[in-house]
Amino acid sequence: MSQPGFTVDIYQNEYLTEGAREVNAVVTVTSPDTADFAPRGSQGSAEIIIVDCSGSMASPQTKIAQARAATAVAVDAIRDGVAFAVIAGTQTARHVFPEDGGLAIADPRTRGRAKRMVGRLRPGGGTAIGEWLRLAHQTFIRHPADLRHVILLTDGKNGEASRRLDDAIRLCEGVFSCDCRGVGTDWKVGELREISTALLGTVDIVPDPAGLAADFAAMMEAAMGKQVADVALRVWAPQHATIRFVKLVAPAVEDLTGRRRQAGPQAGDYPTGAWGAAESRDYHVCVEVRPAAVGQEMLAARVSLVVGSPSGPQVIGQGLVRAIWTDDEALSTRISSQVAHYTGQAELVQAVQEGLAARREGDVSTATAKLGRAVALAQQSGNEGTASRLAKIVDVVDAATGTVRLKKKVEDADEMALDTRSTKTVRTKK
Amino acid sequence: MAGPAAPAGGCPSCGAPVGPQDSFCEACGTELAPASVSSGEVGGNPGCQSCSSARVSPDGYCESCGGKVSSGRDHEELDLGLLAGVTDRGLRHHRNEDAMALATADTVRGPVALAVVCDGVSTSARPDEASLAAAQAAASVLLTAVRAGDDLLEASSQAVRTAGEAVDSLAGPAEDVPSATLVSAVLTSEAVTVCWLGDSRAYWLADAAGSAAQQLTRDDSLAAEMVARGLLAEADALASPHAHVLTRWLGADPGESVPHVARFEPPGPGVLLLCSDGLWNYLPEAADLAGLAMPGALTRPLAAAAALVTFAIDAGGADNITAVLAPFPPTRPAPAVTEGPPGAAAR
Repeated sequence: MSQPGFTVDIYQNEYLTEGAREVNAVVTVTSPDTADFAPRGSQGSAEIIIVDCSGSMASPQTKIAQARAATAVAVDAIRDGVAFAVIAGTQTARHVFPEDGGLAIADPRTRGRAKRMVGRLRPGGGTAIGEWLRLAHQTFIRHPADLRHVILLTDGKNGEASRRLDDAIRLCEGVFSCDCRGVGTDWKVGELREISTALLGTVDIVPDPAGLAADFAAMMEAAMGKQVADVALRVWAPQHATIRFVKLVAPAVEDLTGRRRQAGPQAGDYPTGAWGAAESRDYHVCVEVRPAAVGQEMLAARVSLVVGSPSGPQVIGQGLVRAIWTDDEALSTRISSQVAHYTGQAELVQAVQEGLAARREGDVSTATAKLGRAVALAQQSGNEGTASRLAKIVDVVDAATGTVRLKKKVEDADEMALDTRSTKTVRTKK
Repeated sequence: MAGPAAPAGGCPSCGAPVGPQDSFCEACGTELAPASVSSGEVGGNPGCQSCSSARVSPDGYCESCGGKVSSGRDHEELDLGLLAGVTDRGLRHHRNEDAMALATADTVRGPVALAVVCDGVSTSARPDEASLAAAQAAASVLLTAVRAGDDLLEASSQAVRTAGEAVDSLAGPAEDVPSATLVSAVLTSEAVTVCWLGDSRAYWLADAAGSAAQQLTRDDSLAAEMVARGLLAEADALASPHAHVLTRWLGADPGESVPHVARFEPPGPGVLLLCSDGLWNYLPEAADLAGLAMPGALTRPLAAAAALVTFAIDAGGADNITAVLAPFPPTRPAPAVTEGPPGAAAR
């Protein structure tokens, strides 16, 4: 087997009361802890950095200066042999390096040239993020590579019709992954989140341009660590069953349910993106089955991993999600702590998102209720990151009961930080 | 049907001469007449019983409807002539967590029958594996002791300790320890040595009206202890919520897993019954069990055991059911008459 070591572990209470139909399980997927588990014959990686060069990047001047410096840092982190390019984005998109389009193979000479070209970037013009994505797409598809990744930086709102951006995103889905960063506070979280969600990447705010270099370095190092692209979670269910949802729940919440690709009459594949060594992610699978009689056992789902390789998709690892109907309450009332924890984390993410949306619309009572619920959930689950970010938006009267008051004055950067990072979860002990 | 005692003639595997008390053939090393265990390795239905799809995955589930395809342990019968047992999943549990082990031996003092019945505690880890491992380990220790002529009271205690170790070794690193009950019996021509831990029971079913049927064990359960101390009336014990709360079991801390051992000298012929609570829940009184099983159990223990199990299933089958019947004293059937004038009635 050329994919040793990916493991799939299932956590659930398999015992259901008579007539119950909903089966929940947490699936932990862990990649091998070895330096090189990419399939033989794989065609390597390709990286594109997209830098916003619109007019607003000049105010203040430090913004474009820091963006140039951060791009240079990211270029330096690209490993020899990896194909790469830099694109400047305005109301159009243009190749910065290589100047003739296409990708260059990284070595000290090409990295040096790229940094010199980046040093000459001058801001001026509008923002058409859809065009930037299209140029990246065009550049990638001419160059075979297994792992394709983009770092996208913007400082403002998209100037195109939203339909244009949507179409560009659809075009790029499955072609490359994209990590989005917004510098300052004049950009829209929702726009970048739409990109990062569809393109299986992250989104975050960098409030102070001085923070860009470190962030870019971290993103590029993580990208260099990826070894396998396109790992999918394959979920088989019995004929009469329905998959209610499949969600990534750690390290962040992401609903994958709508991204299902059929893989046979009873199975579907859910994308999980690229994996590096020793990564561990948790997924929450919920299946509705036709209840059987007490004493019967059923396989509610079989979960495995599908890894693309030059010789075709390989199915590795397997976990069984079972359903056993019982009249023994000592068994059926047990709570799977993992399922309960992640159900709570997903509710926390939803409460934050809905609370922020209500606050933006001026609906104070809904915002207070939702953000209060979020505070309570964050405390219960020990999610200190979200708790401290919430504390910048609300005054906490009593965390346990979720009693809060909206702060009158909230920094945009704090609100956007809560928004972008609200999907981060804490893991549960096994 | 497995495990007849080693014929005085030779090893069933290589034919070399063996002594009646040998456990292993000295020539080829084959174990002679090991215990028979309800491990479910023989049988098991192909195809899904719920939707009649023929496609069953290697892990035992239907590829179409996901239903678990029944295991060989769902219903098993073991008949060793000298004794027999039946175990059944019942109607409400998804798997059979009871197990039984039966064995016979021919010693200088005559044939010996032994049996062990174990009931895995459903709320512990891997109860089905625990009951099987415990029954197998205990029967093996008892059989060795019988062949060696060791003291049976001591051997019974040792069998329980060995069974406890087998159960403990099943636990994974982060898992709860598996738990099970155990009841064992060794029948010689003179006496029955009974040993138990938990709430599986042994009963003496008398042949003649003169010697009454009786329960030989007392449950290690809260209800039984309360009855013994006069805190609960016997009549109320069965319906009490404490009826099945165990006070001792296999897989517990050493202090809580000291078994009871007793030697019983029957006043006359009869049958020993070992059973799990899936049977006695429906028929707790010895007289009622004797009424159902006797006198058939004296000569046809398998049929009688099957009848007891069927009774429990018909009454509700709420738990796994195991019944082992061993006639006392253990007597090999006389060899069929094969000589005589031609045409004379011969089997």
